[in-house]
Amino acid sequence: MNVDVSTDCAARIEHHFGAILTELERMRASVAALFDDGPVTTDRLSAHIEADTLAFLQDPTLLGSGFVAAPDALSDRRLYLAWWQGAGRDFLGEAEVPATGEAIDYTRQPWFRTPERTGKLNIAGPYVDFICADEYVMTTTLPVYAGGRMAGVAGADTSVETLETMLLPGLRELGATLVNAHGRVVVSADPHRATGEMIGVPAEGGAERLLSVVRLADADGREQLESLAGWPA
Amino acid sequence: MANPRAISSRARSAIFAPIGDEGRAVRVENRLAEAIRSGVLADGDRLPSELELAQMLGVATVTAREALVSLRAQGLVVTTRGRGGGSFVRAPEPGDIVKGRLATMSRVELRDRASLYLVVLTGCAELAAERAAPDEVEDLRDLLIPLEEDDVGRWRDAESELYLSVAALTQSARLTREVVRQEADFGTLLRVPLSEPDFRQAAGERHRALVAALGSGDAAAARASVRDHVSHAVERLTEIHEGVRQ
Repeated sequence: MNVDVSTDCAARIEHHFGAILTELERMRASVAALFDDGPVTTDRLSAHIEADTLAFLQDPTLLGSGFVAAPDALSDRRLYLAWWQGAGRDFLGEAEVPATGEAIDYTRQPWFRTPERTGKLNIAGPYVDFICADEYVMTTTLPVYAGGRMAGVAGADTSVETLETMLLPGLRELGATLVNAHGRVVVSADPHRATGEMIGVPAEGGAERLLSVVRLADADGREQLESLAGWPA
Repeated sequence: MANPRAISSRARSAIFAPIGDEGRAVRVENRLAEAIRSGVLADGDRLPSELELAQMLGVATVTAREALVSLRAQGLVVTTRGRGGGSFVRAPEPGDIVKGRLATMSRVELRDRASLYLVVLTGCAELAAERAAPDEVEDLRDLLIPLEEDDVGRWRDAESELYLSVAALTQSARLTREVVRQEADFGTLLRVPLSEPDFRQAAGERHRALVAALGSGDAAAARASVRDHVSHAVERLTEIHEGVRQ
């Protein structure tokens, strides 16, 4: 029997990130409805999303998830992360600079700023998150709007290690590399292409996709990136 | 050349050396002092009695007493007599915490900690220059505060966040966590000289040089600018240390 491994690898990416997107869209509708209902406090927000988020986090391939408020969107706190993470699914609440304990302004982090600017789904990373997860992660975020402005982002973290375990066998069969929208390596079949290295995006379709499965192809003696699959497809 | 066997047997004898009651009192004292300085034990909190403390920590009563005497001498604990009396936590002022740490630190220890900090942070700068994308370096510019700013707290927080961000750009979670440890351990001391306007100016220029080096992918220049800054800060800190110790 012939198994189409490129489909298999693409299917695993779709299975993981598709599930995240479904959950973030559900959270977006739920949180937007809460904001449309009147002023929202930190306690109300957390109570509103806790059960569903913890149910979503039953999936062990996820590192954390929740809703991160835009500045002054909540009535009682300027910045807030209704976020659960880690093995114990611990609640975060506030982000601090780890060494000084000062409150950190997360609004300049790419996982917040990029969806704020584009209005679209975003995958940030691979990057070392020293504010929340303390891990090497990829963060998927979706902006949530209420009353004509962004109330915050719904998001989920996946550790890069989990993605390696999940996707490396399929990538090996293809001799391929998974890159992010900026052409940074997430996982590669080639042991010399380290995670975090920049190799670029394929000329066709690479820029619109948050993730691309690519392979180096020899075209007239010139190396070119060939796109095998992408997400969202 | 040192005999490796001799080193390992010396290391072994250090590990298995009896701890002794003298060492225990210092350990009890350090544990409580750390808890007070970090705010785990808050100002006005009542400490357990000597007897209770000894039982909880599994040491002799005389050891607990010795530790409390030393904490009183450091001004971290106040003891009152009579009804409602006991030992109470006295939280130090933030500035006193740093001065207190400096006062109890030898010059050798200061240099020892500074060396570890220097090696870790210069290494991070070098890797970050090789691995950072241009847009990531752009984000660091937000952490460069205007040279005329005179809020010392802002300078200290921004510098700490800048170094943590540089560590994160190595793409290594372990290295980043090590820098978090270094910042908590030595960062607060290293930032003491930022209270001086001239030092701040020079520091601000060195941080701008670091970000420029990262932006152009110049690993040697990035390493050199961190080394330059940490060395200057340590020199000044050593002078301040001398003043506190005298």
